[in-house]
Amino acid sequence: MAWITKNSAGMKIPRRSEPYLTEALKSELTRTILPRYETRRGALLPTLHAVQHEWGWIPWQALEEVAAFLNVAPAEAWDTASFYEEFWLQPKGTNVIAVCRSIACEVCDHKKITQACKEKLGIEVGETTDDGKFTLVELECLGLCEGAPACLVNEDMHMCATPESITKAIDQAKNAPSHGHGHHH
Amino acid sequence: MSTWTRKTDYPILTRRIPCWPFGDPKGRRTISIDEYMKPPAEMGWDTRAGTLAGYESLRKAITTYSPDELVEVVKKANLRGRGGAGFPAGMKWSFLPKPDANGDGGQRYLAINADESEPASFKDRLLMDFDPHLVLEGIAIACYACRIQTAYFYIRGEYHHQAKVMENAIREAYARGIFGKQGLLQGAKTKNRDQAWAVDVHLHRGAGAYICGEETGLLESIEGKRGWPRNKPPFPAIKGLFGRPTIINNVETLAHVPSVVEMGPEWFAGQGCNSSFQGAPPSWGTKLMGVSGHVNRPGVFECDLGIPLRVLIEGKDYCQGMRGGKKFKGAIAGGISMGVLGPDQMDAEMDFDIGRKYNVLGLGTACPTVFDEDTDMVAVARNIARFYKHESCGQCTPCREGSGWLYQLLCKIERGDAKSKDLDLALEVATSMGTMPGTTICGLADGNNWAVRTIMNKYPVEFEARVKRTYVQVGLTVGVG
Repeated sequence: MAWITKNSAGMKIPRRSEPYLTEALKSELTRTILPRYETRRGALLPTLHAVQHEWGWIPWQALEEVAAFLNVAPAEAWDTASFYEEFWLQPKGTNVIAVCRSIACEVCDHKKITQACKEKLGIEVGETTDDGKFTLVELECLGLCEGAPACLVNEDMHMCATPESITKAIDQAKNAPSHGHGHHH
Repeated sequence: MSTWTRKTDYPILTRRIPCWPFGDPKGRRTISIDEYMKPPAEMGWDTRAGTLAGYESLRKAITTYSPDELVEVVKKANLRGRGGAGFPAGMKWSFLPKPDANGDGGQRYLAINADESEPASFKDRLLMDFDPHLVLEGIAIACYACRIQTAYFYIRGEYHHQAKVMENAIREAYARGIFGKQGLLQGAKTKNRDQAWAVDVHLHRGAGAYICGEETGLLESIEGKRGWPRNKPPFPAIKGLFGRPTIINNVETLAHVPSVVEMGPEWFAGQGCNSSFQGAPPSWGTKLMGVSGHVNRPGVFECDLGIPLRVLIEGKDYCQGMRGGKKFKGAIAGGISMGVLGPDQMDAEMDFDIGRKYNVLGLGTACPTVFDEDTDMVAVARNIARFYKHESCGQCTPCREGSGWLYQLLCKIERGDAKSKDLDLALEVATSMGTMPGTTICGLADGNNWAVRTIMNKYPVEFEARVKRTYVQVGLTVGVG
């Protein structure tokens, strides 16, 4: 739910000395992204995408750094980041399996796909495996309706999925080298 | 089987993308700029929708028309928006304020709505996946017609692959000098006082929020904020992105523009159908229709507007019938917010009049999800209500709270724990939120209302069978005291 925000009082913020928004990232963003927008804040979504791509998720410290970089208050960066479901404000697994649960997939029995993932990974929806390799989520419509039931394995579309095909895709993802971001758990 | 025959027997939007009913989707590939810029005849593509090579429609547009003349062409073609509301694109473009006398009206923006997030809608994905330059050419023409210099292509976060394809296509187009500061088409002289017209296109990725498909929510999201829709007026054409005049168009709408420019409005009027209501705007042109659910051959089809749903489902060139030979029970009209066509509405014509004729909200994206006789319509309603509860942005109380209550009521009905008065309560909730009762800023709650109400009204028996009767005591007190 987009409108549920942080639990402000009891929040502990882990910090580290080296920044998440590295100088390399900053100069890349300054060169390619900032000139595209009339305001610095306009670059917030692309910046958050870049941070998440680099680290696998967006820690609070990174949000503060992004806020400073774009001249907005940390609360404004949080306000935006917390609204969008795709931004992970907690660590997630190296691989994300997202099963579509919207109408076309539900009437084409998406439940058996979710069930197969749960059994294969030994976790419930919304959980991450102990080794930090997989997170399983159910999302609203992925726009792959003609191939219902459908899911995303990381960024790859899987259409007309079956329990067998998704189990196989999970095995492939497990054995594949990390898909891009240097996520540290 | 209906006797409907299609008027347009060649592909237009899909001539480079093999697509039923004109071609087999096997072997589809992304069209590169080299291929796109070759004459269609040379590539073996259909030439009945135009013989010009890629980006030559753009050349025709900027060299033969002034911006205002171009808006008139699109207006005359009555090209209605393909994103859901069916608002005429030319009319929308004409709402932009006129630039001041010296031609410098400051920044104006085009935002392309590729946030195809409505469940059951997937037709724009086809264009982005396989023919990105067709979309870019439409964008370039629209920018010239509206005197816009910056366009943002807002693509939903879940479309990872499509974002890469579009990004690559934008890079290709820049490398060829189509976009960039030198002016469209390597700085070609336009009919606008012989000056070049420079356009920049930027890809902007969303991050998984349905509400960002609402036009002002989309603008907020580009500005780096939560996708909270804005109060209107002021309308985006007057005060939109970064407070400047802004046009927001759907991907498919823009993809129609190059062929309209090449072939002219009269040609466009020969496709689709006229309205059967006197004085109502026509449904001209073809439309991408994405069918999903219980059919034998789901997919995207390019059809004349006005094709009966029955032909789309049963036609051998289309979906080839219901899966497993089952009976038709109903179909989402086109994106869940439009509501459901009931078992007796299979002959509904898929055009912009569908809302008035068949008690649904409208044509929407023309992407029906088809249900067979075994489908539990209570579960369908519950699924849809969950979607809206999940995607309500939380800005307006009636929608934020109402969508949650509606979902809970439908869960209760599905479980069999509800009483018949809960049906009335659900219908009451589903009529009291939204822009039509006037209690919310945007139409998200209206989508929720129409979906739930049409399902409850068109399948009353299923709902009544799931609830316990509520007995109301009608008391007469006789002879006491």
